[in-house]
Amino acid sequence: MSAAHATVKSVAELKASEPEYQTAVRKIVRSHAVNELYGAQVYDEPAIALAPNPYLKWLTCRIAMEEYGHHVRFRQLGEQIGIPEEEMTPKGRRPLSIFEFPLQTWEEFCVVKLLADLAEIIQVEDLADCTFLPLRNLAKVTMPEEIFHSQFGKDTCTELVKTPAGRKKVQAAIDRYYPMMPAFFGKKDSENNALYRRCGIKQRTNEEMRRDFIGRVKALVEGHLKLKLPEIAEAA
Amino acid sequence: MTGGEAASGILAAFLAEMNRIPWFSSCGTPLNAAETKTAASYVAALGLGELPVAGVADWRGAQALAQRPDWSRAWWDAEIKAEKNLHRQGARRFGKIDFLAALTAVTEAASSIHDAAVAVLARAHLRDQGLAKAAAGAASQACHQAALAYLASAGESHPFALKFHLFSGGRWPLGIVQERCFVF
Repeated sequence: MSAAHATVKSVAELKASEPEYQTAVRKIVRSHAVNELYGAQVYDEPAIALAPNPYLKWLTCRIAMEEYGHHVRFRQLGEQIGIPEEEMTPKGRRPLSIFEFPLQTWEEFCVVKLLADLAEIIQVEDLADCTFLPLRNLAKVTMPEEIFHSQFGKDTCTELVKTPAGRKKVQAAIDRYYPMMPAFFGKKDSENNALYRRCGIKQRTNEEMRRDFIGRVKALVEGHLKLKLPEIAEAA
Repeated sequence: MTGGEAASGILAAFLAEMNRIPWFSSCGTPLNAAETKTAASYVAALGLGELPVAGVADWRGAQALAQRPDWSRAWWDAEIKAEKNLHRQGARRFGKIDFLAALTAVTEAASSIHDAAVAVLARAHLRDQGLAKAAAGAASQACHQAALAYLASAGESHPFALKFHLFSGGRWPLGIVQERCFVF
C-alpha cells in the first residue's frame, strides 16, 4: 500500500478533506497526546525520586518536562482539529500495557528510556514523512528531544552495566519491560494502521516498525551492552 | 473570584519576574557577601543548621559536584518535605485542580530556561546537552518550589524564596556535599 494521499498543508485544509482522512489524523494525534502524558506521569516524574544524585534528578526533571511538553504540543494540535480535551488525557482511556507496570528502580527507568523512547523514535520517524504538514512539523520538532531521551537511556545503561550489581539490575529491567514492547506497535493487520497508510499518515506497517525496533534493540542490548534479550512471543 | 483566578493573580508577578531573570549568568564568578548570606539562610531555613558556603569555579566542576556520591540526602529530603507541606496548603486554599493549573503555567514558562542554559554554556565553549538540561531542570524545580511558596504566602525568608533569589541572581545552588553548601 503506498502513501498516495495529497499533502494537507493546514488545519483549515484538513477540515475540508475527506472524513476518513480527518478521522485518521484525529486518531493519531489523540494517541500521541495520551501516550506522552502517560509516559511523563508513570515513568519520568516518579524517576526523579529514584535518581541516585542531584545531577540525574535535575536531568530527569527536564526530561519529564520535555515529555509533558510533547503532550502539550499534540494536545494543542488536537484542540485545533476538534478533538475534545478529555479524549487527550489518560483519564478513561485504556493505557498501553507498558504503562500498567510502574517503576520500581532507577535501573528500570534507564531501561524504559532505552527501549520505550527508541520505540517512540520509530513511530515519530514515520510521522516525519506524513501527509498532514502540521503533524509532520510537530514530529520534526519533538524528534531531537526523543533522540536525547533514548541516548540518555543508552548512556546511563552503559554506565550501570560496568558493575556486576548494575549489570544484574539492568538485565532484570530488560527482562521485565522488553516483552511488553512489541505490543507498543499495535496488532498485525491492524485496521488503524491500514487507515493511516491509506492516508499517508504512516508509511510502514506495524510489523515493519516492530521488526525495525527489534533489530535496533538487539544491536543495543546484545551488541552494545552485551546483555541478553528475553524471548518474546510473536505479535498477534 | 475563583480559586484559579486567585492563584493566577498571585503568580502573575512571579511569572513576569521569571522572564526577566538572567539565568546562570553569574555562574563561575566569585560569590559576594550577600549571596553567601542568602545561601546560608537557605540552608538554615531548611532546618539544616549553620553550614559553610562555597563557590564552584566552572561548569565542569559544577557537573562533577552534583554527581558526587556523598551528597546530602537530608538536604533533598528537607526540600521534598517543604514541597509537600506547601502543596497541601495550596490545594486546600485554591482547590486541587485550580492549584495544579496555576503551577502548570509556571512549568510551561520554565521550559524556556533551557535555551538560556544552552546559550550560557556556549559562551563557556561547552556543548553538553545533558549539562544544559540538568541546569534547566534544577532552575525549573526552583521555579516550581518558589511558586508553591508564593501561593502559600510563605514570605521572603522561606527556603524556596531564598533559593529562587539565588537563581534570579544568575546562580545555580548545587546543594550540600560533605556539610558544605555549594553555589555555582
